[in-house]
Amino acid sequence: MAAAAAAGGGGGGGPEKPLAPALLSFFIYNPRLGSKEGEEEKKILLYYPNEVEKNEKIRSVGLCEAIVQFTRTFSPLKPAKSLHTQKNRQFFNEAEENFWMVMVVRNPVIGKQKDGKPTVEYQEEELLDKVYSSVLQQCYNMYKLFNGTFRKAMEDGGVKILKERLEKFFHRYLQTLHLQSCDLLDVFCGISFFPLDKMTYLRIQSFINKMEESLSIVKYTAFLYNDQLIWSGLEQDDMRILYKYLTTSLFPRHIEPELAGRDSPIHAEMPGNLQHYGRFLTGPLNVNDPEAKCRFPKIFVNTEDTYEELHLIVYKAMSAAVCFMIDASIQPTLEFCRKLDSIVGPQLTVLASDICEQYNINKRMAGSEKEPQFKFIYFNHMNLAEKSTIHMRRTSNISLASVHPDLMKILGDINSDFTRVDDDEEIIVKAMSDYWIVGKKSDQRELYVILNQKNANLIEVNEEVKKLCATQFNNIFFLD
Amino acid sequence: MAADVHKKGGDVPNGSLVPKDGRHAERSESPTPGLAQGTEPGAGQEGAMFVHAQSYEDLTSTENPDATVQIPGGREDAQSDQTKIEEISKDFSKLSTQLTGIALDLEEEMRQSKEDKQDLSPKASRRDSVLSGKEDEGVSMDAWHMHQKHVFVLSEAGKPVYSRYGSEEALSSTMGVMMALVSFVEVQKNAIRSIHADGYKVVFVRRSPLVLVAVARTRQSEQEIAQELLYIYYQILSLLTLTQLNRIFQQKQNYDLRRLLAGSERITDNLLDLMARDPSFLMGAARCLPMASGVRDIVSTCLQQAKAKSLVFAILLAKNQLVSLVRKKDQFLHHIDLHLLFNLISSSSSFREGEAWTPICLPKFNSSGFFSAHISYLEQDTDLCLLLISTDREDFFTVSDCKRKFQDRLKKRGVYQALLEALHTPFYSVSQVGIPFLRHFIYKSKSSGLFTSPEIEAPYITEKEKERLLGLYQYLHSRAHNSSRPLMNIYYTGSHENLLAWVTNAFELYVCFSPLGTKAAAVSAVHKLMRWIRKEEDRLFILTPQTY
Repeated sequence: MAAAAAAGGGGGGGPEKPLAPALLSFFIYNPRLGSKEGEEEKKILLYYPNEVEKNEKIRSVGLCEAIVQFTRTFSPLKPAKSLHTQKNRQFFNEAEENFWMVMVVRNPVIGKQKDGKPTVEYQEEELLDKVYSSVLQQCYNMYKLFNGTFRKAMEDGGVKILKERLEKFFHRYLQTLHLQSCDLLDVFCGISFFPLDKMTYLRIQSFINKMEESLSIVKYTAFLYNDQLIWSGLEQDDMRILYKYLTTSLFPRHIEPELAGRDSPIHAEMPGNLQHYGRFLTGPLNVNDPEAKCRFPKIFVNTEDTYEELHLIVYKAMSAAVCFMIDASIQPTLEFCRKLDSIVGPQLTVLASDICEQYNINKRMAGSEKEPQFKFIYFNHMNLAEKSTIHMRRTSNISLASVHPDLMKILGDINSDFTRVDDDEEIIVKAMSDYWIVGKKSDQRELYVILNQKNANLIEVNEEVKKLCATQFNNIFFLD
Repeated sequence: MAADVHKKGGDVPNGSLVPKDGRHAERSESPTPGLAQGTEPGAGQEGAMFVHAQSYEDLTSTENPDATVQIPGGREDAQSDQTKIEEISKDFSKLSTQLTGIALDLEEEMRQSKEDKQDLSPKASRRDSVLSGKEDEGVSMDAWHMHQKHVFVLSEAGKPVYSRYGSEEALSSTMGVMMALVSFVEVQKNAIRSIHADGYKVVFVRRSPLVLVAVARTRQSEQEIAQELLYIYYQILSLLTLTQLNRIFQQKQNYDLRRLLAGSERITDNLLDLMARDPSFLMGAARCLPMASGVRDIVSTCLQQAKAKSLVFAILLAKNQLVSLVRKKDQFLHHIDLHLLFNLISSSSSFREGEAWTPICLPKFNSSGFFSAHISYLEQDTDLCLLLISTDREDFFTVSDCKRKFQDRLKKRGVYQALLEALHTPFYSVSQVGIPFLRHFIYKSKSSGLFTSPEIEAPYITEKEKERLLGLYQYLHSRAHNSSRPLMNIYYTGSHENLLAWVTNAFELYVCFSPLGTKAAAVSAVHKLMRWIRKEEDRLFILTPQTY
């Protein structure tokens, strides 16, 4: 809270200069760990920023506990999920039984002059609960992907181990949150699928089968092209978070050598096999180097039942990437990596260029249409498929929406209204900025369209959206 | 929304913006969104009767001291604040530690938190420790959880003032926790607004020396719920005045306000029930009893002529609908005050017994003083109720005489029968509009502060269905009036009905269609509906209000 006051005070300096929402604090606690009076500090497993004085940490945790407990009076099974105050919003998530994660986000601030004195005004209606609750849930999912559950850490080595793992993970991860650019896509946390004709899809399928056969220790495989998923052997929820990791963290980090091209100095430093374009994104940089380390990141999947620990091998050739996951009990050797490189490398290179060719043909055919008057986001809850023409390519966790943030927030509002009932619904609104926004929910699918036709009327807007549905989603029935 | 403020000049002493008197504007046949305020259907030709109100103005105005924060300049208070923080937080962490001894038995839990409460703050600790013996609807009962909307009022010492369900005694520990949460956030120079969970929200409104809390499972927005809490706050002020309320708590911080409010719970209960089914509160406007304009004009003239020096407002109403309103020139009534008066009258049948003469504060008009209200029905078995607001509490006989004069004039001018006939049809049927698929609508003229709406008919027969329809309007209203992202048009397609909202500077229109209607039909229906309202406006609205 001290951070809030300081940040707020600082914001008053420049008039009319808005301050974006910011992460004030982030903490994880378990009330069972310090239930005795005077031992409250023991409940706290992680607290960011760590420099905060001990009593303030205890106070913040105390408030969360009290809020949660207070709401149980009214609904024993559905306690509080967020607390709104003038200056900030706090989001609560009981990620595992008795393990609470809390994220405190400061409301955006505008500096104003009032009676000649500089004051600040908090924008209390700007943050969307669903967006930030989802961000908090993803924080947990990402932690779990690389560290397993909190409970497992407690079993492995007690509070000490858990605290170490939390500190190590969140110290870095919290820096990458970019709270000011979170939007509806964070609510969906979906997967973008690569559109493909049947033949090419079958070729990829058979490629995966062959690879799994020749590299017998591979347990699961996933195939991506252009940062979009084509095939995955993982459970949906595991793939969802792995996909987020790959597309917002791992791939962007390796994008430079690719852009630089084969003959550039960057590429020259990695003397790979000249027969193909394949390379490891995790693991050894150069398989020909006898000193190369074969260390792969570990991931945890199926934590609800079989609780599997796996090595994650990500191998890429041009725009095609394959993830091979092998059981953590087997340590992949350099010899295995060389074998993988020699088998997968050439075939993946050929496959990647074929997909690219196919993709360009499709693009040329579709490209004849003129620039559409609308932008849209589509999400399917059943297969987590997501498509957005609003967002630019996602890089390093920032999704840049190409429309005004207020419009994105209206989409968020519509989405949160949709969650209240299970029925199919449609809503068309005209915002003050004269944009039309359409939200449709049908079965498990949601579609949001922003139309930039200021003088259109309701009927024209409806026709426009009908056309869009007919061309893009012709097999989906939407309420009219 | 800001735009319609600037359209009008005329700053009145109380700081509210009131449309200019005697405004004669051209009235177009077919209203369009470009319609200037004051020319929409239902806009009074002789100026407005009400203070011009903005939606949620109370929630955003400077009355709310937390809306803006001063940059901390001096450090004088820092020392005392620091100790205060430490004091409270010490108690607070104790509270939370003990709260987490997760008791499955809720009752057990509540009792424990009650004990915790006792060392929470010295102020709160002197609570009557006797738990009420009667098995009232306590916190532990399932039925208590199921209520759509709980409302609690408490003093800053955490003492219960009002609870909608369950006895205040049984809930005193819960209210103590509420106060603890409020003060905990406040010592950090912050203000608690609301708590959100799946399916319900808890909304806090702070109006020193009271704290109001609602736990709502409705679809209303946080702002709409807060607005309802403010109505409860004003309801309390209308009985006590703010001046008296402040004085009481200055003298004795842990005063049990229930002693003073004894007997008024019924009025508050009624207000909450009324808000759940009457759109007047949502619209921030009054509804008129439909009647021929000729009859209404004569009634208004009769009412105007039956004047007395001390009279400020004379209001004739029937079942929460306005028949006529006469006001002293330059004095405007706020719709909140009018709603409180309507609620007062509808919450008691005793006014039918004879003439009542009661002190009442109109908090939006003047929160520091009482008026004297003369309340009586014209005849015991009609619904026509006359309300005369006087500034002089010694003036009963003069005011009572005004009523007699008014009744005499009504009969002399031969409109009394016509008036009684209008009572037979207090609502019109939506079928009169003649639009297929049209089920119901609400139309509000912003400049007159009046709205019109047909009777709610099939399929909204049961109370539950009626409340659901109002809930849908609340939903549209909250999206249209979102403070940071307002919307001008909304068209909603659901499986049970289609809805349309259209908000401009001049009017607000909310329409409910059958789910079989198309969008094209809805668009043409809205234009037809607007023409119909224009045609009927002199029957549905008070276009020529009178003044003394």
